[in-house]
Amino acid sequence: MMRRKKVPVPPALRWLAVVAVAAALPAFSQAGSPATMPAEPAARPQPVEYRDELGRRVVLRGTPQRIVSLAPSITETLFALNLRERVAGVTNYCDYPAEALTRPRVGGPINPDLEQIVSLHPDLVVATRSLNRQETVTALERLGVAVYTTDPRTVEEVVASTRRLGKLLGADARGEELAATLEERLADLAHRLAGHAPRRVFFVVWTDPIISTGPHTFLADALRHAGAESVVTTDQDWPHINIEEVLRQNPEYLVFSGTHPEDPQTLIAGLRKRAGWSSLEAVRAGHFAIVSDALSRPAPRIVDAIEDLARQLHPDLFPPPPTPAATPPSSRGGTR
Amino acid sequence: MIRPLTPRRLLLTCAGLGGILLLVVFFSLKFGTRSISVTDLAVFLFRTATGRGDTAASDFRLIILDIRWPRILLAMIVGAALSVAGASFQALLRNPLADPYVLGVSSGAGLGSILTLIWAAEMPAATPFGAFAGAVLATSAVYLLGQRGGDLDSYALLLGGIITASFLSALIMFLMTTISGRELRGMAFWLMGDLSTPSPVPAGWLVLVLVLGSGAIYTTAADLNLLLSGEQEAMHLGVDVGRVKIVVYLGASVLTGLAVSVSGAVGYVGLMVPHLVRLLFGSDYRLLLPATALGGAIVVVLADTLARTVVAPTQLPVGAMTALVGAPVFIYLLRRRIA
Amino acid sequence: MNPGEKTAEATSPAARAAAPRAPASEPPRLTVELASYSYTPEGGAPLFTLEATSFVAPARELTAILGRNGSGKSTLLRLLAGTLAPLSGRVKLEGFEVSRLDLRTRAQRIALVQQETPLLFPVRVWDFVIQGRHPYSRGLRFENEEDRAVARQALVEAGADHFRGRWMHKLSGGEKQRVVLARALTQQPLLLLLDEPTLHLDIAAQVDLLRRLRRIAADRGYAVVVVTHELNLAAEFADRVILLDGGKTLRVGTPAEVYQQDLLQEVFGTLLHVEVSSRGTPKVTFIGKEA
Repeated sequence: MMRRKKVPVPPALRWLAVVAVAAALPAFSQAGSPATMPAEPAARPQPVEYRDELGRRVVLRGTPQRIVSLAPSITETLFALNLRERVAGVTNYCDYPAEALTRPRVGGPINPDLEQIVSLHPDLVVATRSLNRQETVTALERLGVAVYTTDPRTVEEVVASTRRLGKLLGADARGEELAATLEERLADLAHRLAGHAPRRVFFVVWTDPIISTGPHTFLADALRHAGAESVVTTDQDWPHINIEEVLRQNPEYLVFSGTHPEDPQTLIAGLRKRAGWSSLEAVRAGHFAIVSDALSRPAPRIVDAIEDLARQLHPDLFPPPPTPAATPPSSRGGTR
Repeated sequence: MIRPLTPRRLLLTCAGLGGILLLVVFFSLKFGTRSISVTDLAVFLFRTATGRGDTAASDFRLIILDIRWPRILLAMIVGAALSVAGASFQALLRNPLADPYVLGVSSGAGLGSILTLIWAAEMPAATPFGAFAGAVLATSAVYLLGQRGGDLDSYALLLGGIITASFLSALIMFLMTTISGRELRGMAFWLMGDLSTPSPVPAGWLVLVLVLGSGAIYTTAADLNLLLSGEQEAMHLGVDVGRVKIVVYLGASVLTGLAVSVSGAVGYVGLMVPHLVRLLFGSDYRLLLPATALGGAIVVVLADTLARTVVAPTQLPVGAMTALVGAPVFIYLLRRRIA
Repeated sequence: MNPGEKTAEATSPAARAAAPRAPASEPPRLTVELASYSYTPEGGAPLFTLEATSFVAPARELTAILGRNGSGKSTLLRLLAGTLAPLSGRVKLEGFEVSRLDLRTRAQRIALVQQETPLLFPVRVWDFVIQGRHPYSRGLRFENEEDRAVARQALVEAGADHFRGRWMHKLSGGEKQRVVLARALTQQPLLLLLDEPTLHLDIAAQVDLLRRLRRIAADRGYAVVVVTHELNLAAEFADRVILLDGGKTLRVGTPAEVYQQDLLQEVFGTLLHVEVSSRGTPKVTFIGKEA
């Protein structure tokens, strides 16, 4: 690069140079070969290969005992499958059930702390395509950690995913039981709603700017199961909508989920006073439906939320609820 | 007092900065979610360096060599590339406020990244290449815009670059709002600069590009000193201004494209580190270029280590940290120097 | 003498720095032969034309180019510096056409001191001055002892030695001027060009500068060409004057020859009075308040 006069190199510099070169040695290889996992007991079960919901190979040795979840929906599912003792790590946003809050945290779903995950020595990490990044999964696999990715896109797929997860994790019976119950409830609901027109609703993800959900999202599918149809016709998943469009569509109901940080009641009171919103028939008639954030989580609890929503939208089709409150709306911020 | 630049002073300064860098790297290896003592680390490194590494515990090794070290290496490469690019653009455009992104290279890389995510969603490893391709295209477009009578005109370059950058950024915004959310989730982090994703390209190649790009620019270091007085002046002192501008423009764009395609747009480094180094060591580009490369590496490694430890396990984007780390230090130095 | 020889002289650094050039042989240092230039925008009428002009600027002499603003002085200077190639005719330095020299050789032969020197970043006087050695460096070679000797000498001759450790941006106009001159001197050129160097200087500094230029021309054997509109300074210090007006060269000669009252009044558009002193130097005074 450049020619300079020769200068005698002090010994200290030479030592530093050695260390620097040594530290640089791994540089020219592909980010290190997957390091071995911690030493395991002598009698190891044979590796079994599975395919996850993205078609990727997952290799497991025996039933995973330490599982790290990278999404709140997965955490919920694991707990619902009665696998609570096996949950070794959760994300910062995993808030249901309450016991999940006691598990070690590994960061956010989009950018989890790899070191933390690895330190927990998981046998399996469960991720989901809708929330986690491909890069995270690749990085974990390069570090020798098995990752199973789910990808439920509809409510039915959530149930199927739960069943599959149960099988994978050695909770076949419980998984089957849970799935069957959910399917039964959904069928029952469909039966009740059969023949009745779905309510035209506008699902409010956010008010400033106005964000709703498109027809292809998981949320939209949940709405359909609850006897509702989103008035949003654009193809995007989370479109920004102009208030004029909302007025034009004139939905029968506005649906809010517990993920909005503001208390829904306050929010609604505020909307009544705002230009544009106050002209909506739904606002004037007080047709609001508020459900917990479970509606947007692809986990077993979604069926609760769907039923709750259905009750609110079609009160005439349901007997009065036995207890005063259905699922109380959760006002804690969920994933976004 | 005069401190003329001699090869000896250059070597000593670089050695000093190199020593600081090694120290910073050492402590960055030490700090993290899982705590590691200094002695353990030193012993481990020594054993690995002398080929007796297998005796170490395996998840210790995993964390240090497979998680932290690649990230630190990436941080060094990005820091060095951005600083050299920033210093080069400041000379090329004769503007102390120039940074590596002012000519649209990062917006081009961002657009390339998004388009790759959209069109080749099943191959996330393709993203850095898409980003680099975007950077190259943006560079070429701005190069053409900057032509005046067969020569690169600094003014036209600057204006063309700013316009291109805004245009491409607008395109990025457009795509991010109209394309469905899931593919682009990582983009938010990328736009702020994120080193948490290991690069699919082996680091050796990145270092090679870094060295080649910086080396090419360094051949014009003496010329750049003169260019700072003005193009006419430099020409009257024998500088082949046209050639120098092209070499520096291409070299700096390649370095910026490299950094951005690997880590996203880490801000502030390319602007601030050259000024910091100037305050400490003067404006002579023969010293400034290598010193700023080392300085940039130090800053980004520090910032990244903070970003991943300060509120662990939540990871912050490194771009936020670079500003927080650098600005106070810069202000302090500024006040001391300007008498 | 061909381009290569100049850099190949091999004597000790200090000696080389101080050695006067060999006395100019018969042909004058700088020869301008019917050189002309014009600026023409695309498809339009020529904006400005410098009509064919011829003169010489010998070594060891100070030549002044005089004229009003817009008379073509700057254009002519750029022709002399080689940045512009004449549309017709030739500008030759020691027999070589300046616009055809490669940049490096040209920088070793012609040094230009401009009116404004923008400085982007703070730089010390010494570092600024030693930049003048750039045409002699190869690749990334750092400055050596010879370069330093030349720079020191140049600072002394320019009268800037006592502030060589200071920052450029903290100097006064006159001090900065000296530093820029010093840098030009380190180029060890054959031709030294200065564009309106006395613009921002007070009278003492102006006189000092021109005295230095004459001394430098004599000691070092340079040809010095100064563009100015200061009539009396030019008359006092220049050996020859070239008077320009509207792109035309009206007169070339010694100050006494050129400073004809009628001519000057016409060129400068104001009433003037020209006296010739006992030494033969003309002095111009302007007619002041209206009667």
